[in-house]
Order: sequence, then structure tokens, then C-alpha cells
Amino acid sequence: MLGNALRILLRMVLTFFVIVTLVFFATRLSGSPLDFVFGEGMSVEDRAIMIRYYQLDRPIWDQYLAFLGAFVDGHFGLSFIERRPVAEMVAERLWPSAQLLISATAATLLVAIPLGIIAAVWRKSWIGSAVMALAFLGYAVPNFVLAVFLVLVFAFWLNWLPVVGNGTPAHFIMPTLTLAAAMIAAIMRFTRNAMLDVLGQDYMRTARAKGLPESAVILKHGLRNAGITILSVVGLQVAALAASGSVVVESIFAWPGIGDLLVNAAIRRDYPVLQFAVLTVALAVILINAAVDLAYAWADPRLRHSSRT
Amino acid sequence: MKRLLLATALTAILPGAVFATEVTVAAANVAPYLDPGRDHSNVGSQFYFNTFDPLIHKDYTKADMQAQPGLATEWTMVEPTVMELKLREGVVFQNGEAMTADDVVFSLNRMFQATFPPYQVRMRDRLANFDRAEKIDDLTVRVHVKREEPLFETLLNLQQTFIVPEDYIKGLTGDPKVAEDADYEAFSLAPVGTGPYAITEFVPGEKIVYERFDGFWGEKAPLDRATVLHVGEVASRLTALRTGEAQIATNIAPDQLAMIEGDATLKVEGAVTPLFHVMIMNMNHPKLKDARIRQALSLAIDRDLLNEALWLGKAVVPASHTMEEFGPLYMPELKTFEYNPEKAKALLAEAGYDGFEVTFDTQGSYYTNGLLAAQAITEMWAAVGVKASIRDLPKWSGNDPEMMTRNWSNPMYFSDPFGSFGVMWAPNGPSEAEGRFNTDAEYAEIWDRFRFSKDVEVRRTAYAELMDRIAANPPVLPLYRPYEAWAMSQTVTWAPKAGHIPYVLDFRAGSISVAAAN
Repeated sequence: MLGNALRILLRMVLTFFVIVTLVFFATRLSGSPLDFVFGEGMSVEDRAIMIRYYQLDRPIWDQYLAFLGAFVDGHFGLSFIERRPVAEMVAERLWPSAQLLISATAATLLVAIPLGIIAAVWRKSWIGSAVMALAFLGYAVPNFVLAVFLVLVFAFWLNWLPVVGNGTPAHFIMPTLTLAAAMIAAIMRFTRNAMLDVLGQDYMRTARAKGLPESAVILKHGLRNAGITILSVVGLQVAALAASGSVVVESIFAWPGIGDLLVNAAIRRDYPVLQFAVLTVALAVILINAAVDLAYAWADPRLRHSSRT
Repeated sequence: MKRLLLATALTAILPGAVFATEVTVAAANVAPYLDPGRDHSNVGSQFYFNTFDPLIHKDYTKADMQAQPGLATEWTMVEPTVMELKLREGVVFQNGEAMTADDVVFSLNRMFQATFPPYQVRMRDRLANFDRAEKIDDLTVRVHVKREEPLFETLLNLQQTFIVPEDYIKGLTGDPKVAEDADYEAFSLAPVGTGPYAITEFVPGEKIVYERFDGFWGEKAPLDRATVLHVGEVASRLTALRTGEAQIATNIAPDQLAMIEGDATLKVEGAVTPLFHVMIMNMNHPKLKDARIRQALSLAIDRDLLNEALWLGKAVVPASHTMEEFGPLYMPELKTFEYNPEKAKALLAEAGYDGFEVTFDTQGSYYTNGLLAAQAITEMWAAVGVKASIRDLPKWSGNDPEMMTRNWSNPMYFSDPFGSFGVMWAPNGPSEAEGRFNTDAEYAEIWDRFRFSKDVEVRRTAYAELMDRIAANPPVLPLYRPYEAWAMSQTVTWAPKAGHIPYVLDFRAGSISVAAAN
């Protein structure tokens, strides 16, 4: 178990270093901030002044070393535009994004797994079909359409829910639903399929033959075994959401999250912010993947034992 | 009635409890930093006027420059190049420090003799004629210019010459006796001025909170508190008005107007913005060197049709690079630009246009209706036989030698043609520096008369000559002055004032009032 954790950690560090390097060079290849921050009509002298001010006149390897050095001092450089430490800017945005990620994941697990089980158990009745129809609908509707629809109905017409920011629990309802919809659809389908796989197995018949109540058969013997598949899909979905999923939702609900920061930094080529925000997201994805890996080992005895050898 | 009784009862129970007057603004963009000296963006210009004062104010209800006392109460020219200003007594910054002549000298010289790179950039494009400010006594300051300055008052009204506190800025980082770059950077995150509202909370890009400053030297602010929140989506901004989360929403697109007009609790205030959306043409592109080709491209565009189709007729199409805000230099009689497709065809034939493709660059919808206008313009060119295509680019291409034509804007930074045409099209100015506009000795000579003559008639004549030069060898076509709208709750009385630069959210006394919601 410990060796496994160590291996996962080493892989994380290596992945992170590769991302750090890629991000550094990719952001610089994408254009100069001067074309985006000031853009319109700068004289040659003015450009030279600002290039010096941003320290972009140094050789690129110097800049790269300084960038790596920034990891040591914990400052991560100054934003070209806001002129304050990047770490501070990202920290401001991290918690709202995390809040949304957590609430969307929680909503997904609470809704998708029970519905998936229901769809598997009652697969031949109208209940199963209704659940699956719902899942396809969740898949088919893009999240910005759903968001605008929710805003129109619950905020614009009914005036029940607020749309600006993350001030109160009521603020969470629409963004959470928007983000969770596609995830619910996906997890629901995977849960159903994984359950169907398991329900046909011989040991299920054995469990029933032992005289166990049906709920114990399905939840203990069925869900436990289907759990590994579901876990891997949940991990992927949550990681994908952390990486990119919330930009649109943050924009529509004026949510002060990291997606908005990333998009603006990318548009303006604010390298220090862009670099650090991409890294933060990458780190989040790496951590989520590592957590899923560890959870696998915990959930699947075969993995647990194989890692010992 | 029941509610009214309740309210009366409450006020009786709580003597001295006053209902706070507050407003929340849902803004399309919130500034990433707040420093009036460094900033000249359309996002930033919204936010400075509530918190800062210039030495010389103006009558903001009037489009042109009509000077009024600001932090200076009177001013005279003591020499042709020296203005002496008497400062207002008893002015206090929002951090409690008294404003002195030292603060004024510091504020001006930080721009005139800039060491901080972003200030250097601003100094060069509009304040280059200023030499220095000097203190005479505690309430007297002299400002020196290099050459006689016909726009002295106008330039001391600029956002870039708003007065800031010296000791506070110097003390923000490092040595409290020295103004370092880091001090200016720190100031732009915690700005302090002499205006009627203090900024008590600022989250860059997300939120600004103004609170009434009771030490303000003039008429006190009508609001206790105003909060500006970043709400990027126009549909969400309008919804926020309906849910009561905001009372004012900025940047309402023309196609949303009908929806607001259908709602009895909401209203729209709009105005034509002192800013031109323009089309620029690269004089030095090998295919466009012949002025007749560029004239034809300009003549082929039916700007009135663009206005009708994209702006519901609410924009203003100019006959020249001129607007009412220029005051005595407003010259609507000039006919620099026109629509004449027949003439366009004739010029193309004369120039031997061989069917090469003309590209029109746009940065998506960076400008409201920018992409739609680009599509319409390329269609209009097709109608006179020009093959055209759109390059939708992620960035500014005005400095790209490959750029043939593209959209841009020429804002009015202050009420004079120098503050609009002048900033962009000066000899060695940004357009020439980017390699798409050429000037010669003759242009420079006309320019000099326009820029520095103290005689308004001489300036007018010179500006007309400049416009003739632009018409004969066009680098630019002003398309229209866009119409900008704000939506708001019926409880709010606010409208953009004619005397401001674009987008200013003026919440000073006499500019806004809020009725209690019932």
C-alpha cells in the first residue's frame, strides 16, 4: 500500500513538471501580452518601455529559470495587469470554484447512483425507461442552454432564485444543477450498465439462494462490485469538470471562480496568471486522479494485493 | 397601507434609524486595477469620477468644455507658458490626510516627468507638452508647459491628471520617502482620492464598493453605498434587475432594448457615446498603396444602412471625424466621408483593380456589433465588385503589415479633436508608429497649427485641411458613434451625462437619486 502511494506520488511530481514546462513555453508561443493588454496603437518606444517593465526583454531561459524559482518563493510572480501576486489572485478564486465542484459532485452522487440502480433493477418496466429518457435528456442538453433556461424560469419569471455570485445557499441551486446535469446523466448510465453486468453474475444467484433480502443482494453484493467501474467514471468526470467545465457556468451566474480568471488571463496573455492558474487546475486534476487511484486500491482487493508483490 | 403603517411604526421605535440609500450595479466588466493616471480603458473610465477630482472641473451636463472650479478655485496665465492655480482650502483625502500643494505637484509630476513605465506611455500620447508643476506656497501651484498650450484647462480636467495623495502612495511599500514603481502598483489596488465616494472594497475584476465620504469638500454624495458587481452575461445582468440583485445594468445590447421596454418595473437610459467605431485601411499594404482603392472601399460603405440594421438607427453617422463634444472645433459642415457606390466603381476601374481579395480583420465581437458590421461591409464591397473576406482574429492586428483593413475605435479622451482624432492620427502617433499611416512635412505643419494655435479660427482651418488630407489619401473611415444603453429599475433616476468621456458612472450629487422601493 505504501509503495503504491509512493509510486503515485512520484508519477504526480513528474507529470506536474512536464505540465509546468509545457505551460511556460506554450503561453509564450501564443503571442505577446502587449498585443492583448494594450492592443491598439502603441508606438515603438512605448512597446519597448512596457516590454522592459514586464521583464520580457530577458532571454527566455532566464525567464524559465525565474519561473521555476517562483515555485520556491511561493509568490509565483506578479500579474501583468493587476500587479499583485498571482498566488493571491488564484487563492481568491479557488474556494468558490471548489465549492461549486463539491456541490455538483455531491448532487451527482446523490441523484445518479440511486437512479442508476433503479434503472437497472426495473430495466423492463416503464420506470427504467423513464430514468433512461431523463439521462439522455441530460446528455443532450448543453449546459449553457440549461443554465439560460433555468435563469429564465426561476430567476427572470418566477423571481425565486438569485443569479449573481455565491452569497447564499440559494445561489448554489442553479449553478449546481447546471454543472451536475451532464454528470448525473453519465454516472446514471454507467451505474445502470455496471449493475446490469453484475446482476447477471452467478454469485448474485448464490446470494439470493442464501435467502438474503433483495435490498442486501443488490446493495451489498451488486453495488459493491459495480462500484469500481462507477468510481473510475466519477473520477474522470470530476477531473474533467475541474479542468474546464465551469467556465460557462461561472460566466452566466457571475460566479467569482477560477474559470473566469483563466479565460481572462488567456485572452490578455497575462502569462504569470495564466501559468499559475493552469498549474492549479492541473494540480487539482492530478490530485483527483491520485485520490481515485488510491480509492481503487481500497475498493478492489485484487489491486491491493497486486501492489504488494 | 399596512406596510406603510409598519414602516411608520418602525421609524417611531428606532429614532435615528435612517434607511440607507444603496445601489448595486451589474457591470459587464469591472476594472482589473484602479489608477486614473495609468488607465485609459473604457472599462476603467466607468469608475474614477466618483472617487477623484481634477484641478479644473467642467460643466458635465454640457458636451463641450466649460471650465468650473475643481480642486483649484481660480487660475490665471502668469506667463504664456505658465499657469498659476489657487488651490481650494480644506480639501481632505478619503484617508483623512489634508490635500496640500505638495500632493498636487506630486500628482502632476508623476505624469509629466513619469518614471513609472505605464505613466510614461500615457504622458507621451497626451501630456507631452507639459514640463512640470511647482509649488509656490501651500495653496498656490504653477504648471509649466513647453509651448503655449491652447488646451490648458481641458488637459487639467483629464482623468490622467486627477489628484492623488503623495504621502499615502509613497508609504505603501518600501521607502516611505520615495515613490517607487511598487508604490504605484499598490495604489492601483487601494486607490484614495478627494471625491465624494471612498472605495472601501475592491476585488479586481469582480467588485467595487463605494461609500459616501463625509469629508468631501463639495455637495455630499446622494448614496450611502454603491456596489459594482461583475456580471459578464447580458441576460444575467437583466435578470439581476428582475430579481432585485441589482438596480442598474451596464452595456445593454440594442437587441435587448425591446425586452426591457416590455417590463413596467424597468427602464432604459441611453446615449450616443463620444467614441467612433472606425474602419482602418493600411496605406502601406502593397495592394492598397493606390489611394483610389482605399477611397473606393470607403465610398462603398453605406453607413446609414449599418446604423439602421445594427443599431436600430440609434447610432450617429458622422460626415467627418467630428463630434459635438469638440465645442468650437465641432465642424459638421465638413463632408470628409460619404456613400457613393457609383464613384467607388469608377475609382476601382480607374485604379485598375484586378479582383484581388481584400481582407477585413475583426476580433470577434470585441466591439458591439463588430462581427455583424464586418459581414455587412464585405457584402457592400462585393456589391461594387470587390472580392472581400473576413479574418476573425483573436488579437489586435493593426501593427501587422499583412493587415489590409479592420475595425478599431477612436474614443474621445477629452473634449477636443486632439483628444480623439489627435491621439490616434498625430504625426509619429500610434497609427504611424504601427506602419499603416504615413505623414509628411506638410501634414506635420498643418498638424502643428491645429494643435498649438491659440486662435480657434486657425485651428478650425487647420483641422479642415487635415480632413482634406485624410479624404484624399484615406487611412480611416469613422463608421458611427455607437449607442450605449444602461437598464435600470424604475426606482433609480440616473442617466449618462453629455459632458463625460465614454462610460462614466457618475453617482455624484445631482446625478443620481433612488426612490425607496415599495
